Amino acid sequence: MTTTATPLLEDTPLGPEAGGLYRHQNIVTGMVAGIVLAFVGWLISHALLQGSNWGTDMVVTVTMTCWVIGFNAGIGTFNGPFRWLTDNDQTPEDELYAAGVGQGAKRYWKFCTDHKVVGTQYLVLVMVLFAVGGTLGMMIRTQLITPHSSFMTPQLYNTVVTVHGMTMIAATIIMVTGPFTNFIMPIMIGAKDMAFPRLNAASFWVVFSAVPCLLAVFFLGGVNAGWTTYAPLSVQDPPAMDTFALTILVFAASVTLAGVNIIVTIVTMRAEGMTMFRLPIFTWGSMLGSALGLYAMPAFIMAMVLMITDRATGTSFYVAAQGGTGWLWENIFWIMGHPEVYVILIPPVAAMLEVVVTFSRKPLFGYVIVIAAFVAIDALSILVWAHHMFTTGWAPDLSGPFMLTTELISIPTGLLFLCIIGTLWKGKIWTRLPMFFVYLFLWNFIIGGVTGIYLSDVPADGLFHNDMFVTAHFHYTLMGGAMMAATAALCYWFPKMTGKMLNERIGKVAFWIIAVAFQVTYLGMFWEGFEGMPRRVAYYDPTFLHANQMATVGAYALILGWLLLLYDIIHSWRNGTPAPANPWGAKTLEWKVPTPVPLENFVVEPVVTSDPYTYGEPEKVPSAKPAPEPELIPGGGGGGGA
Amino acid sequence: MTSGPTVEAAQGDGAGVARGAGDAEIPKPLFSRPAGKILVIWLIFTAIGIVLALVVPKHTFPPMLTKEGDTGVTTVIFFTIMAAPVAALVYGIAAYSLLAWRQRGQRDEPPEDGPPLRGNAPVTIVWLCVTSLLCIVLLVWGLAAMAADNQAPPGALRVDVTGQQWLWTFSYPGTGVSSRSLVLPLNRPVQFDVTSNDVTHGFWSMSLGVQVDANPDVVTTIYATPNKLGKFTVQCSQLCGLYHSFMYAPGAVVRPGAFALWLYANGASLRAASLDAKVKMTRADTATGQVTAAVGATPAGS
Amino acid sequence: MTLTAEHGHEEPAGGEPPHGHHQSPAQRHRKEHLALWLFIGGDVVFVALMIFTWFYTRALNTNGMWRGANCTTANPCTDGLGNPLTHQVPTANPWYGVVVAVLIVVAALLAWSAERSSRERAGRGTIVTSTTCALVALLAAVVVQCYEFGALPFTTIVGTYASAYEFFMGSALTHALLLSFLALGFLIRSRAGRYDDGQWYQLRLYRIFAVWIAVSICVLTFISTVFT
Repeated sequence: MTTTATPLLEDTPLGPEAGGLYRHQNIVTGMVAGIVLAFVGWLISHALLQGSNWGTDMVVTVTMTCWVIGFNAGIGTFNGPFRWLTDNDQTPEDELYAAGVGQGAKRYWKFCTDHKVVGTQYLVLVMVLFAVGGTLGMMIRTQLITPHSSFMTPQLYNTVVTVHGMTMIAATIIMVTGPFTNFIMPIMIGAKDMAFPRLNAASFWVVFSAVPCLLAVFFLGGVNAGWTTYAPLSVQDPPAMDTFALTILVFAASVTLAGVNIIVTIVTMRAEGMTMFRLPIFTWGSMLGSALGLYAMPAFIMAMVLMITDRATGTSFYVAAQGGTGWLWENIFWIMGHPEVYVILIPPVAAMLEVVVTFSRKPLFGYVIVIAAFVAIDALSILVWAHHMFTTGWAPDLSGPFMLTTELISIPTGLLFLCIIGTLWKGKIWTRLPMFFVYLFLWNFIIGGVTGIYLSDVPADGLFHNDMFVTAHFHYTLMGGAMMAATAALCYWFPKMTGKMLNERIGKVAFWIIAVAFQVTYLGMFWEGFEGMPRRVAYYDPTFLHANQMATVGAYALILGWLLLLYDIIHSWRNGTPAPANPWGAKTLEWKVPTPVPLENFVVEPVVTSDPYTYGEPEKVPSAKPAPEPELIPGGGGGGGA
Repeated sequence: MTSGPTVEAAQGDGAGVARGAGDAEIPKPLFSRPAGKILVIWLIFTAIGIVLALVVPKHTFPPMLTKEGDTGVTTVIFFTIMAAPVAALVYGIAAYSLLAWRQRGQRDEPPEDGPPLRGNAPVTIVWLCVTSLLCIVLLVWGLAAMAADNQAPPGALRVDVTGQQWLWTFSYPGTGVSSRSLVLPLNRPVQFDVTSNDVTHGFWSMSLGVQVDANPDVVTTIYATPNKLGKFTVQCSQLCGLYHSFMYAPGAVVRPGAFALWLYANGASLRAASLDAKVKMTRADTATGQVTAAVGATPAGS
Repeated sequence: MTLTAEHGHEEPAGGEPPHGHHQSPAQRHRKEHLALWLFIGGDVVFVALMIFTWFYTRALNTNGMWRGANCTTANPCTDGLGNPLTHQVPTANPWYGVVVAVLIVVAALLAWSAERSSRERAGRGTIVTSTTCALVALLAAVVVQCYEFGALPFTTIVGTYASAYEFFMGSALTHALLLSFLALGFLIRSRAGRYDDGQWYQLRLYRIFAVWIAVSICVLTFISTVFT
């Protein structure tokens, strides 16, 4: 995965083999350990529990938990805590090995603490998740091309809808904080790595171990309840629901730990002179998105723990006959679910702001305003959750207050738009591929955001809740908005992460297919919604035929566009033109280090003298501290100054 | 050096002046300034938005049969018209940026730097005020509409709605009628009391402008007043298992006389049907299929 | 402070940058301290939701089944398996919960004592005693909590009070196990002399975490005992 003209530190051999068993740990040992422990867990739990009440659910839960623990033990996630426990802490040689020194490309298949490796691993995982989720989405649209298709059975359709939703939610949560916050952010702040590199690698492999749990849903009877798995329907679902719940527990734990890592890194590991208000906005967005995730993920964990106990031990949190209520599920779920969409949205928007700055050649307009907007969105999003529950009847008197808080969120979101167009204003707009996706974001997110305002209004929500209108709205915001911003970020940082330039001719063709097909697909879906088609249906009234045909045709074109972009990414990664250290002439610190980025990023620790938005401003008088020798860090000076 | 909003001369709404040969400032004509061109694009996008607001809902929504449905559609139209200028501003400036400020022919080297505009306090404050005002307008509208919808006037017709996997049952308390179709009389407020026998379902009819979940072991309530005759469909909106797609029921808004006849045909007594429909139905009426005598607030000649 | 001195981690597992020697101990401590408080923040959300769950389901009392108030011989309710119930669910014996809470408070105090001993360089013996006693207290809490599961006068399928009460018990058990893991690690490490010379920082992290757990368990025990 790396191109090396000169040997990098991480490729030089480490020295005689020492350090024992753990140096042989990799993805294979992880899988073997996971399968073995899962099998042992299955044997024991099956012998003890099958035949008892809820026995199958308990067996499935135990088996999949054993898989997760076994895999992570096998790949080395628990080495750190275990060695702490036994007073056998890592030596510096151990740490070098853990950072991937001497292993070449093999380090991508191991527990590697180098944040750049972890970022690349996340990038590949995210693309795989989108491929899986995209395929499932195409299956849904194929079913819906005629009103009574026999393409899928109702059980399979409901399961595909569920797994499509969950896969996409998981992928969009980590699509920017996984690859880019990990790879780019430490370099951006002048640090050598994340605050807790072992925890970083652990977060990745924990997410990885959750993926088979999610896919196991298809083999354990399927889940009928959509990704929101409302109780009590989900309490009654086949054992696939247990592995689905476990997937979420594991995933949420990983996101929480990664969030802690990100925040601590940004607060404590900035280089000298990098004050909080000299940080690039991407750093702020990563931090504030992660902070919100710290609030939301425990709620997800709580909801799913109660679900598992309801299903496997007979508690009655969600079962009305025994004193429970589906409203408890809905409340806890949406306490997570609304902040979660801002966890999805804020990091990509922050990344996109870096793109807007670089390709307008102007400072970020309203830097402090953007930060304030992110903070306001974080705070308000905690107070709006019941707008997903206007029609549940749970507390009609609270509809007014929740409508208020929900509509208030449009104000900070609007400020973000002000700052984007303010940055474009009178800029020197350089229309390279990343900038294409920025304009597409602007077009799509306005539509997505405005349609969200309809849903925040209680009477209109009564018309549209659980209608295809809602589906079109969140695809416009999450795919049309957040994912396009993330794609802009990918095109922007591709040269730094892979050492290659992304082929822009192919990229632009893919862009236009995606841009146009997206409108056809999701405007078609809005049409379906206006006509009154409910969501999550496998069969529909023939009145909705034309709208569905439009959406399905659009979807097929859309997937072709994405596949073409994927081809471009893979082809350029392997055979593209080698990239210079700073192809975009950008000013943030990651562009001041060479490509490929050496282990520990900076040969000499940088000293920062200004923020990275000094476009058009006169050169600063050099600070009192001596700048490092230029030849040590090819590609630029040692600071973020102009 | 921290960045904060700085006021930059000759920006904001664009360079509105040209410097002539002397010191006198000659204002440029409106439409050759950036502000003028953006105004044109803004007007076009706003007009498109307003046209879409007025045309699309009317041509795609199913026919609205109740006061609440009308409120919902009017809200959609009003919100779209309110949002159109804001969207148009963003689209306008974005489009103008590509028309006027795009560096053409630029391939591999970054262009020169643009002006260092880090912020503009007046623009930001105006933007904040306008968006907040819009927000308040939308909120007030929404609260008013909500208050109007949540009324339970006395004398409302009561309908008990029960959802189960995978069908709807509508019963009319006091008449003993239980049906898989929902028939409602014109111009009479209705109170729906909704519950479920098993999992959570969604009692939803877009034409009636009503949606409330059917939850097991609790009753949720929603109101509607049909004001047009017509047919509609009740659909389950909350995914409820295998045959969720098939969980729909036919419905109709009919005149009170027809409603009384329907109740009678479904097992109500003459008296109960008359009371519920607020008409005076006689046995002779049931033979002719026409109820001639009306009572109270129903329109004449039902 | 040598280079191989403690690499502090609390749950979650912490770590060092590949060349740890560039970070001063003060920087390391600051990182771990912040990480701990962020993690506690997440746990605060979790505990808040537990409290919400308790009071919300209690207030709703769906079907009268918070504790089966409507169950009579004439009008029996059934448990989830169809067996008729004709009586209210009895409340759990509060003393188990109190004992567990007290043991965890004791463990937190012992953690504080260990930290103080290390800071004042009071000698390995004192530190080891404190960490050992903390481990013993925590293991006792685990044992008592496990025993209570068997000694309950109800099973979870009988109403939401029973479910929520057992959930609170499970949470206390999980946290006690987590603290036991940490206590064992501190025991082993203090015996090896890691905290003799005033390197009390990790013990401080442990103390903060133990105090939080003790506070949250006291609050939850109070709620589950008083608001039956």
